[in-house]
Amino acid sequence: MLARIPSATLHGVDGRPVSVEVHVSAGLPGFTVVGLPDAAVRESRDRVRAALLSSQLSWPSRRVTVNLAPSGVRKTGAGLDLPIAIGLLVAAEVLPSRCVEQTGFVGELGLDGSVRPVPGIASLVASIGAQQIVVPVAASAEAALVAGERVRPASTVAEVVAALLGRGTWADTPCAAASPPAVSEPDLLEVRGQVVARRALEIAAAGGHHLLLVGAPGSGKTMLATRLPGILPDLTRDEALEVLRIHSAAGASAGAGTFPSRPPFRAPHHGATEVAIVGGGSSWLRPGEISLAHAGVLFLDELGEFPATILDALRQPLEEHVIRVRRARGAIDFPARFLLVGAMNPCPCGEGGLPGACRCTETMRRRYLRRLSAPLLDRFDLAITLGRPDVEDLLGGPPGDSSAVVASRVGQARALARERGVRCNSELRFDAVDSPCALSADAAALLERRLRSGTLSARGLHRVRRVAQTIADLDGVRGVDERHVAEALQLRSARTALVAEPGQ
Amino acid sequence: MTASSTLTDDELYGAGLAALGASPGVLRKFLDGYDAPEAWEAIARGRHRADPDRRYRTKAVPRTLDAVATSCVQAGVSVMILGRPGYPPALADDRQAPGVLFGMGEVAALERRPRVAVVGTRSATAYGLGVASELGRDLARSGVVVVSGGALGIDSAAHGGALGVDDGATTVAVLGTALDAATTRSQAALRDALGCRGAMLSEIPPGVHSARWWFAVRNRVMAALAHVVVVVECHHRGGSLHTVAAALARGVTVTAVPGSVRSPASAGTNRLLVEGAAPVRDVDDVLTAVELAIVTRPDITPPRRPPVVRRQAGPRPTAPLRAMASRVREALDQDPATLDVVVRRSGLPLGEVSLALEELSDAGLAVGEKGWWSRPRR
Repeated sequence: MLARIPSATLHGVDGRPVSVEVHVSAGLPGFTVVGLPDAAVRESRDRVRAALLSSQLSWPSRRVTVNLAPSGVRKTGAGLDLPIAIGLLVAAEVLPSRCVEQTGFVGELGLDGSVRPVPGIASLVASIGAQQIVVPVAASAEAALVAGERVRPASTVAEVVAALLGRGTWADTPCAAASPPAVSEPDLLEVRGQVVARRALEIAAAGGHHLLLVGAPGSGKTMLATRLPGILPDLTRDEALEVLRIHSAAGASAGAGTFPSRPPFRAPHHGATEVAIVGGGSSWLRPGEISLAHAGVLFLDELGEFPATILDALRQPLEEHVIRVRRARGAIDFPARFLLVGAMNPCPCGEGGLPGACRCTETMRRRYLRRLSAPLLDRFDLAITLGRPDVEDLLGGPPGDSSAVVASRVGQARALARERGVRCNSELRFDAVDSPCALSADAAALLERRLRSGTLSARGLHRVRRVAQTIADLDGVRGVDERHVAEALQLRSARTALVAEPGQ
Repeated sequence: MTASSTLTDDELYGAGLAALGASPGVLRKFLDGYDAPEAWEAIARGRHRADPDRRYRTKAVPRTLDAVATSCVQAGVSVMILGRPGYPPALADDRQAPGVLFGMGEVAALERRPRVAVVGTRSATAYGLGVASELGRDLARSGVVVVSGGALGIDSAAHGGALGVDDGATTVAVLGTALDAATTRSQAALRDALGCRGAMLSEIPPGVHSARWWFAVRNRVMAALAHVVVVVECHHRGGSLHTVAAALARGVTVTAVPGSVRSPASAGTNRLLVEGAAPVRDVDDVLTAVELAIVTRPDITPPRRPPVVRRQAGPRPTAPLRAMASRVREALDQDPATLDVVVRRSGLPLGEVSLALEELSDAGLAVGEKGWWSRPRR
């Protein structure tokens, strides 16, 4: 007797449909799993057997063959336990096959017959086309966000069998919470002084421009960076779904049963491995920090301490918004569209910002800056120098705008960008910068002077123009004038401190 | 031995002695009462009285001689031995003069002319670099030889200023590394220029790797060569204070360029001023000190006083400044400040301040350095 049960396995952050085929035939008792299973899938025999026996269900003492189709796709994780168990019961004719028609299953089994949650439930459920999908009760809220009414929560195998036979009822599907619990994000109101840095944050948020903060220890780099997500607009539904799927696939569900509404903020330490940051892994390719920061902010504190290989690996996602992880067993594209905020000391001693204050040798300084390749530095549209805050500001200068006020300006600027057909101005193509960004004559003259004096490169020109456009958008002005250009030029001036001496 | 054929025996064995790796003091003892070939022979036989433990015997082999001779010839380095013709008389009388000295360029330029050591930190501000460069230029114009260390920062600026003057060899670098040591590209360019239109001296034989302590040790050579030492910028406990100490021990006048009391790069110089060093505002102050220092030395040609140039009150703006730009200019001072501070002081929005700074820097009324803004000097 043959049973065919729809299920799914995780491939990166996407689900891939898998058909679990169970065949029970006469012969020596045995259990074989074929179709590229990984260790966790192969071990499912022991879990399924114990779960069935402890649920007072029979284990056929016949020859059992489980095929996971399509056989070319590698199956990972324990989510196939439940479909295998159900397929076994159908094939052994404990369950009539009409009971499981158009029903998909996902879940790991415990030895006591309980159904346990698995990572990536949102993606798995999305890829199963059946009319009803049985999922672990602990993950049902998350599944319901994607599959809605089709979700059938289950806590034990016995409960599933009873419900399928019509002797019991499914547990209630938890309704997706309408609004997520209010999370308290740090507010910009708490930052005293730092007018320029606040403005740079606002521009970064409005235009999606990557931001580099250079300053001595104690100048507030981390404090500022953690306040960037708070002024970004809410996630759209599509973005929220992507974020949910990525976090779910990484095994860290953002908020159980609620759509993530706020952009994620990830701040990996510079000791993290390349796989942890970029994504990958030996058996199960999982998303790294840069994908977990998708649609949000990736904050790299002590940028100069990160290994050069990791920093260079950031270049592709910064351009293409995708990180392509290639391993011998396959390649996976993880989404990685994040706003990068880097923070660093100007030199190893930290005092090098103020001219003449640094006590580092030239060799030390060069070694410190060597990891930051020029192509990476070029990706930062904004690079500002931070000084230590003024004492008067700390003790109660006039407070700046709160995050909510800034966020509303950011939202208006983004609306203007959407009229140009992009999400934010940093995505304006080089050839498309011209038409929307009408430059005033004075602004063009200023740019020309800077180009002729060699302080601005051709690549820098486009970046300055995009930032200038964002500044004009924030000011609510249509055309770009020289003030906007001058401000954009000033807000990248810290770059010069980091570019190694020419010819080195 | 084709390489050694261009060196005399004295030079060859002198270079070999320097390549044994002895400290400057021991090297002098090697040559005390011996000429160079004798000293070498005695060390090689283990009979030199300055080497009772025979520590240098194993190195005193023909291979060492060959290597140093080849390096000298390849790098075009001349060898000077204390007490022999060719050794700079300016240095010969010093108590701690190097036993063997390696030179490139016009070493003879040191003679009969007043010499001023312009020294300072590697991590200099724009202010310090500007002053060092101007002093180098003006001293060279006055017929003074500029002595400095060849390092980045103040040293390079002083050399660079002097090299811009077309008046024979105007500047001498005393290096703490071998004359052919690998350097950064910008320093290599400076060394090329010094080799052609100046001179370089070092105690370390070509081809030998330098150690950190050499930098402090060579400072005594600068102090011994100089009639006046000018410290342009120096941190609290900076390396230039070694030169100052060596100069004071020799009775050489020490002067210092005042700096902002808030600038860490002027902490050392300002302290020197407090302790009694003569302040230096411009080349006139240095020349006065030089004239005082060489008053008992009829063999030294006195410096030429450059014609007095009326100094302008400041660079004249080409066009009248806008009101905004003037306000931003008021917000700048000599100490570098971040953009944030300029915005706060001026009370203007960031866009206005940015535009004003662009205008001011075009007009030469503001200096932007790595995101820090200040007024230009004067």
